[in-house]
Amino acid sequence: METDATTVIRLRGFEKRYRRQVAVRGVDLEVRSGEIYGLIGPDGAGKSSLMKAVAGVLAHDGGRVEVFGITVDSEAAAERIKGRIGFMPQGLGLNLYPELSVEENIDFFARLREVPAAELARRKAKLLAMTRLAPFRDRPMKHLSGGMKQKLGLVCTLIHEPELVILDEPTTGVDPVSRRDFWAILAEMLRERGITTLVSTAYLDEADRFHRLSLLYEGTVLATGEPDQLRAHAGGDDTDLEQVFVSLLRDQGVAEEVTASVPSTTTPGNEAAIEARELTRDFGHFRAVDRVSFRVRRGEIFGLLGANGAGKTTVIKMLTGILPPTSGSGQVAGADMGHAGHRIKRRIGYMSQAFSLYRDLSVMENLRLFAGIYGVPRRQRKARLRQLIDTTGLAGNERRLAGDLPMGIRQRLALACALVHRPRVLFLDEPTSGVDPLGRRRFWNILLRMAREEGVAILITTHYMSEAEQCDLLALMHAGRIIADASPTELKARLERDAGKLLELDCDRPLVALETLEAAGYRGVSLFGRKLHLLSRRPERAREKIEILLRSKGVRLLALRPRPPTLEDVFIYRILEQEAAS
Amino acid sequence: MTWLQRLFTMTVKELKQLSRDPILLVVIAYFFTADIYIAASGIHMDLRQASLAVLDHDHSESSRELIHRFQPPWFELKGELSDTHQARRMLDAGEVLAVIDIPEHFQRDLERGRQVSVQMQVDASNSVLGTLVTTYATQIASRFSQEKAQELHGRLKLETLPAVLDRHRVWYNPNQNDTWFMSISELLTVITMLSLMLPAAAAVREKERGTIEQLVVSPLTPAQILLPKVLSMGLVVLAGTAVSLFLMIVPAFGVPIKGSIPLFFAVTALYVFATAGLGLFIATLSRTLGQVVMLVILVMMPILLLSGAWTPPEAMPEFLRRAMVLSPLSYFIEMAYGILLKGAGVKLLWDSILGLALLGSLLFGFGVWRFRRQFG
Repeated sequence: METDATTVIRLRGFEKRYRRQVAVRGVDLEVRSGEIYGLIGPDGAGKSSLMKAVAGVLAHDGGRVEVFGITVDSEAAAERIKGRIGFMPQGLGLNLYPELSVEENIDFFARLREVPAAELARRKAKLLAMTRLAPFRDRPMKHLSGGMKQKLGLVCTLIHEPELVILDEPTTGVDPVSRRDFWAILAEMLRERGITTLVSTAYLDEADRFHRLSLLYEGTVLATGEPDQLRAHAGGDDTDLEQVFVSLLRDQGVAEEVTASVPSTTTPGNEAAIEARELTRDFGHFRAVDRVSFRVRRGEIFGLLGANGAGKTTVIKMLTGILPPTSGSGQVAGADMGHAGHRIKRRIGYMSQAFSLYRDLSVMENLRLFAGIYGVPRRQRKARLRQLIDTTGLAGNERRLAGDLPMGIRQRLALACALVHRPRVLFLDEPTSGVDPLGRRRFWNILLRMAREEGVAILITTHYMSEAEQCDLLALMHAGRIIADASPTELKARLERDAGKLLELDCDRPLVALETLEAAGYRGVSLFGRKLHLLSRRPERAREKIEILLRSKGVRLLALRPRPPTLEDVFIYRILEQEAAS
Repeated sequence: MTWLQRLFTMTVKELKQLSRDPILLVVIAYFFTADIYIAASGIHMDLRQASLAVLDHDHSESSRELIHRFQPPWFELKGELSDTHQARRMLDAGEVLAVIDIPEHFQRDLERGRQVSVQMQVDASNSVLGTLVTTYATQIASRFSQEKAQELHGRLKLETLPAVLDRHRVWYNPNQNDTWFMSISELLTVITMLSLMLPAAAAVREKERGTIEQLVVSPLTPAQILLPKVLSMGLVVLAGTAVSLFLMIVPAFGVPIKGSIPLFFAVTALYVFATAGLGLFIATLSRTLGQVVMLVILVMMPILLLSGAWTPPEAMPEFLRRAMVLSPLSYFIEMAYGILLKGAGVKLLWDSILGLALLGSLLFGFGVWRFRRQFG
């Protein structure tokens, strides 16, 4: 291990309140020098508050915060540590200036930090090359893709070569390839400068990227340790961390609902509930959606995966009749989207990202409002709402304001509102982003029941790979196109057929190994915490070759074992394939 | 039937949301009560306590008599000055509004029947006040000279002197009480502002919170989404107007309501509808509440300035007078004063009603059209 044991961040009994609401309580945390330390938890777990306090931009209400051995308890103390810290707040490119070009943004942050001109030129050249942003140095930041914005944000955070970087949800809404680049850059910085990193994420499947991590939930730490230690706690090597999280919550007495395997009581039938034929949409010269075709049958759950800006929302908007397509056609719930838009609207349910509810109305008032909008007959209304409250588990919350509800319940309310008129087709646009794993499981149980028992066709977009696994059919979207389209099992099988088996490699100097393997032409080499992933067509012979290769660089191979590929692996492989082809 | 039911559902929703927004409620309550009270009792169109200093080079009986005609409550004497430099300094410092300079031999020359000039220096940086001071002073001086002339020719009777007597009849506001004018004028301004702002705010709030998408994919038509905002906020504005009129303007300032109250509320409703259409147009241009507020201010200024409330149309340049047809307030002002103070009825006001209805339909149609384009 390439770290020494000096402690960079130490929290003891950390507490933060907003008015009377406690955001974080009693958190102990220790981050060592040269470590990538992860904070994982759903929205509202207290990640941001904690990180801001460490960065010295938010005062705390209790406990002790020590950074570089300095107790951060006053403005003056915070000023002393700020020069040695780089902090990237949450939100894609929110810390950057949209009108300034890539280079101007970097120069601005460098001047702010008083980086000497010669030094700036050197660092800028290096960071731009590393992030592959060099060809875009004159492009205004607002015209960059989400992944590029995030990389630029990272460059601006690193330009003064801080000893500690604090990154708040840097990968939210970024495509898997940019996400992988992002982790690679961090690893590189760690190798070269020994930079310590504190980073947060809402995705549990990113846990393997960290050396150590803390699972946060509602302001407390559920568990701390290395990813494998946490897995062992839940009993198994193959358990994903989501399972760990759920079992930890169960230990805490948070009730869990077993994942119901719902038998299908309707026959899928062959008629398409949603059919898209060559859908295309241009915005000016920009083609947001490019000849997208797919079919979703009754009772099927269809997942649309892709980064922000890949075109998923535009597809949904065309199918729901909000946006006319530039060309192509489609049918939704038995009506043609070209000239029966109004009929479609009455037959579909739609739930857009997270908050599209009236937060100043109560649960019951929201439901009644949508029953009124969709014209549910007065006589049936009461019974229908009662039934919905039961299926979505909202009982007991009827009189609470939607804005006061925890995220998970609010999401189920939004679902109930979308279901009020018994739609035959349901469109869900990132319905679960920011919800904790338990909440997401409950949500999916309802979806499964809707599909299997009532034969509702569901089109859903998500960033969670664990949710994508549950879909009957998946389409991967990238730059407006569908680049792969099959069931999850089939997608993974095709990856193994096309690119070989996924191997997980454990060695004593992973950063050196990463460079060596990439130079030797191995595909899909990627760093996961201290481990490496790579793809190999002949896994049985790979061990020997890799061992020799690594030994020549003084790296000792500890273990090499096959791993089932994840959908993210599939996704990354297909995007790179696509980019290589074009 | 479902069409109306949906409209009703959405209108109730808007009212519920408003009732849960304490800050907005306080703002509405303030504008319809306290704001109107302050405007009516704090702003005057006649002269009050204008500060005045005197340079009396004559110190005679006549000069003192003239000076003492500048009486409270119109004028307030700040005392006598010794030289012109001091007078100038006090004017520059804004300590006095006017200085009267009475020359030497004032009395002697008057008694000899000569013309005498009295100089008055006026600070006209506030042109309205400056004009008022000049007008009042001219009146005082001319009455003084008339009386002096009479004294001099004591034997003559007043009637034998050639003079035009100005006997005016003041209609509609016999005491020329400007709280009447100001309170109604302020009420009209408040109605304008709130009927621009409230529906626009309700619409842009849906955008800000992302609820608009949920509505757009539902079977609601754009009109069904927008009309309820106008209906609900229009009801609020009408209720506020009623409160303001019956609990503030009539009892506190004694404004008589000469015309038909139902007619007044009918034309107010028409006006609110027209202005709200403009507000919805603003909402389609804005992404945030902050932008709505800035645009409302931008739009409101010309509406007020071109309404004829502050400058009579006859006094405006030709092209501005033509532009008045675009200010919904220009129609409403004529109708509101007409109904409230003059007791005018539909017979007199039909052209304004028609004009406002046309302009209102145009503005509202434009707002819906923009919305439809924005959200398919």
